[in-house]
Amino acid sequence: MTDVAGAGPGPRELRLAAVDPDAARDHVPGQPDMWAFVLFEAFLFTAYFTVYMVCRVQDPELYLRSQAQLDLRIGAFNTLVLLTSSWSVARCVQSAREGEFRSALTNAFLTLAFGLVFLVSKVLEWAHEIEKGFGFSSDEFFSFYYFLTAMHFLHLLIGFVVLGVVVHQLWSPARRSQELVETGATYWHTVDFLWVIIFALLYVMR
Amino acid sequence: MSGAESGTVPARPSGSLLRKIAWHWRHDEKRELWIGWWTLVVFYNLYGLLFFVVARTQPPPSPSLAPAEIVQWFDDRHHGLIYGYAIVFIVGGATAIMNATLAYTMRRMSVSRAFAYSYLVIYALATLPGMLLMGVTCTVAAMRPDRDPALMSWLYDLAFLSFEGTMGVFLIGSLIWMVAVLLDENRVFPKWFGYLSLCNALTEVVIAPAWIFKDGVFAWDGAIAWWIDMVVFVTYTTVFLTLIRRLILREDFGTGVLPDLPSEREAAEAAREPSGLLGTAG
Repeated sequence: MTDVAGAGPGPRELRLAAVDPDAARDHVPGQPDMWAFVLFEAFLFTAYFTVYMVCRVQDPELYLRSQAQLDLRIGAFNTLVLLTSSWSVARCVQSAREGEFRSALTNAFLTLAFGLVFLVSKVLEWAHEIEKGFGFSSDEFFSFYYFLTAMHFLHLLIGFVVLGVVVHQLWSPARRSQELVETGATYWHTVDFLWVIIFALLYVMR
Repeated sequence: MSGAESGTVPARPSGSLLRKIAWHWRHDEKRELWIGWWTLVVFYNLYGLLFFVVARTQPPPSPSLAPAEIVQWFDDRHHGLIYGYAIVFIVGGATAIMNATLAYTMRRMSVSRAFAYSYLVIYALATLPGMLLMGVTCTVAAMRPDRDPALMSWLYDLAFLSFEGTMGVFLIGSLIWMVAVLLDENRVFPKWFGYLSLCNALTEVVIAPAWIFKDGVFAWDGAIAWWIDMVVFVTYTTVFLTLIRRLILREDFGTGVLPDLPSEREAAEAAREPSGLLGTAG
């Protein structure tokens, strides 16, 4: 794998920034460009959520009836797993800032493992719903259910590539760009943040 | 060889627009790049005008129209389809210059040439479902309005499924550009453009349900499959046209890092020496 260009300051500079309160206050975690991506995605998903809400308001009975077919416990389990993965990726960033790269790597792999648990549980949930006869075109609620969860699934798959870049950076002392580690963590948090809203809209809201 | 290379370049005239254009044509060493950029700008504007105003095939009509309504739909647009798409077929070849300009941005990066070549091939193929197939199908339907309504419905579906439903072709193109921007060390484009390309690529995926639904938000005229994607596409296009213009202004025809624009360089130097400025002011 090639180094991603524009790696920015190394771990030493950012460790100094973490110690110096003024520098820490001025420091935006990761590439500022990734925050632009967070903004683009926030706009895009806001548009999807708005369309979902508008459709739901037009036929609330159908949405409630179909929503009852989903297992809230699976949604809650998914949320718990992703929130834990956010916690481990945050620990990964913190360890890298402190120069504890073994610990940072362990936390990056933990994040990958939590992500995998989420993916497997989501595939099993889809298979279960399809077995019950609720497919992508069964009704409007299930169209949104598969659409939103599949879009999120795609983001999570990209998240594995992003975590691969983080692991690649942490692996060798010749790389270890703190900026890229934080950029990867920012992406992962975004995926987590999107899931929390999807969970609330699809599973919880009555 | 341009005048700039011959070493006898007259000063840029300050008179009429025509004289300025003539000067650029004869002496500007970036002449070919500007031709490519202007082709992009003119083509995208013309494309919008022809598809939205003249042929009126965009925004797309409903996939669930009855055969009689489809015949009426073609009849309402008869002249727009015939003349609008005649112009599309005349200017369609401009995509070669456009694609070359887009590929040039990747050739100027520090990445492998494979990125630019892959992009060129994908976008050369994409011209067929992204423009020509719909034009041919709509004009075939418009040319003989007395055809069997069942045949007209067949042409209608082919036109819109080939145009709206095949946007996934552009998915890989956007991803290639994204990876090239993120790996590039020559600062050709800002990294956020790479992430915006990812955002654009993901919206290409969203169109796939148009093959399944005949109505609702996922159909080919739906809020999610068409309207939101169109907003992202227009934003993305405006952004890359602006960034390519900046690239041409910054181009030094070297192989290393692209220099900043002179105004930005001066601002950066001024920011690096605040005491000097304050001293002058004082």
